[in-house]
Amino acid sequence: MKPRPFLVVVTASALAGLFFSAFSTYDFAQHLDRQVHGLHCSFIPGLASTEAAGTGCHVTLMSPYSSVLRTQLWGGLPISLPAMGVFAFLAFWAGYLLITRRETDRRATLFLFAANTLPLLATLVMGGIALFTLGAACKLCIGIYVASVVGFVAALVAWRRASRGPALGARVPDATGAADTLPAGAYDPARDRGADPLSPGALSAAAGLGIAFVLVPAGVYASTLPDYARYAGTCGTLAQPADPGGLMVSLGAPPGGRAAIEVLDPLCPSCSAFEARLSASGLDEALARKVLLFPLDSTCNWMVDEPVHPGACTVSEAVLCAGDAAPEVLAWAFAEGERIREAAKRDPEAAARLVRERFPRVAACLGTPAVRARLNRSLRWAVANRLPVLTPQLYVEGQKLCDEDTDLGMDYALTQLLARSGR
Amino acid sequence: MTPARTIAAALVGLVLLMTPTVLVASWVHSAKRRLAQAETATADGSAGAEGEVAIAAAADVGYCNGDLKRVLRRVLQSCGLIGDGGGVRGCQPVQARSVATMSGDDFNALFTPLAERAGIIEFDFDRAELDAGDIALVNRLFADQRGASYFFVVARASPEGNDAHNRDLSKQRAEAVMNYLRTTFHDPDLDKEVGLLWLGEEYAQLDAQFCAWQRSGNAGECDARTLNRSAFIAWIDCRL
Repeated sequence: MKPRPFLVVVTASALAGLFFSAFSTYDFAQHLDRQVHGLHCSFIPGLASTEAAGTGCHVTLMSPYSSVLRTQLWGGLPISLPAMGVFAFLAFWAGYLLITRRETDRRATLFLFAANTLPLLATLVMGGIALFTLGAACKLCIGIYVASVVGFVAALVAWRRASRGPALGARVPDATGAADTLPAGAYDPARDRGADPLSPGALSAAAGLGIAFVLVPAGVYASTLPDYARYAGTCGTLAQPADPGGLMVSLGAPPGGRAAIEVLDPLCPSCSAFEARLSASGLDEALARKVLLFPLDSTCNWMVDEPVHPGACTVSEAVLCAGDAAPEVLAWAFAEGERIREAAKRDPEAAARLVRERFPRVAACLGTPAVRARLNRSLRWAVANRLPVLTPQLYVEGQKLCDEDTDLGMDYALTQLLARSGR
Repeated sequence: MTPARTIAAALVGLVLLMTPTVLVASWVHSAKRRLAQAETATADGSAGAEGEVAIAAAADVGYCNGDLKRVLRRVLQSCGLIGDGGGVRGCQPVQARSVATMSGDDFNALFTPLAERAGIIEFDFDRAELDAGDIALVNRLFADQRGASYFFVVARASPEGNDAHNRDLSKQRAEAVMNYLRTTFHDPDLDKEVGLLWLGEEYAQLDAQFCAWQRSGNAGECDARTLNRSAFIAWIDCRL
């Protein structure tokens, strides 16, 4: 078989990759208004309705791996945007070879193959992160991965076929474009376009064009973003930030770290995700963090009408009981949150049982009047500071990180807030 | 290669280069417009209450009607818990009656809706020490503060003995509860939360209906005398 059909496959897979990466970038760009939006979590985006939080697409989009340059740009530059550029270029280059009938040009097809290794490498890296780090599958991403792999294989075959020249008996175009069937033993390489490959200069220009395909949209994106810096420090301050009663739990105080208070529910998925983002950003190293426990569970919190996160009061008590091991209990609660919530939903005593099994030394303290009173004082600290009834919240030197900036825009907004508080 | 093919390839390249560029510019522009609209809506108050986040506040339950709050405010001010009380801790019986401006029965009726939040710490005759049962009930009720702002301790004495002795005895009972709370819970807000009243035998004696409430004394033994050798304790879920 001639290389041509494989170039068609490369073109089609690049267009498919462009299609999926465009939807992914669109979903990301929707969030630039700092609001919450549904996502196109489907293999047929545009036909299926968007989905809210909790899907694999949401996990991957909100993960620290969905974009780069996060402290320089609000949300960072979505990696699906350079992907759009790469796939657009691959579609162009494969189309160029087809239109100009250079399918047997060994250099040009080698260049196509080399260019296709880029999305394949990205697929291996990002797919590995999704599988082993995030444990989440995003259908749009899978679409991109499949397009990358198919494009790579087709480009490889196209190049190999071009290297070998046309098969005996195959129809090859002559200089005038007419096709002839070559008899066995009659193949003349001089007639093959592979004998007249694109010059290295032309391929360098193509590589430059490929870079332009990536840089132009990325540059337009970065240069037209709204000015988010003006929101830093405008979302409120703590009226009474002091903690004379020792209600809060320290998460470490690195040298020079700014005083920060995190308002957390140990069983709140958003808090767990926020912690993961904060840790991945490395900005936690710039903060001397203390946690104010604010369980959204009506068992102990009168400000909510129902146990939004069943078991959260018990786990909060466990964190307070743990003393120096509080970060360990908190990390466990974040990791096992779903299991604890589900168990506590079925049996209100289940959370206490799970805590006692995992941390036997806090068992005696759990549920005692002293720890219940301490947790209650944490809630009343929130009352004294008129905090919103939501988690997570982060205050740096008493200034609030805007709620709209706790997910995609966290790295950028927190960097801005740190810069402001340092003035 | 014909010029037509070259032009066609160039056009395809241009379209493919412009596609991501134009799409991205359009999406960012659209987000910018929505951002501006949201800011305008917030500024002129047209954003609406939908999605508005509640603000943390103390509990203010259904029984906290205007009359109850008025009485509570008077009592708390008079007893030095809110406003400029001059650091007074606790009220004399006469003061309590005057700030409450009501009969003893009406005063007790104020606490009727608190049945689940209240308890009666029953002391031994002519004593003001907490025993194990008393401590257990205080612990249980005080730790169950939830969103309540005030903890009332209303101590009494049974009619045996003279008025002055009983007044002093009820004061000791109120203070015994307060001292226990102070040494056990280490709550920095204690002095702003706990209101002490000592009524002696002169005002608002408890009647038999309170036998059904949570008590620290012998469950099978309840009469007016044992009921009033007591400190009535309750969290008040009202904001003032």
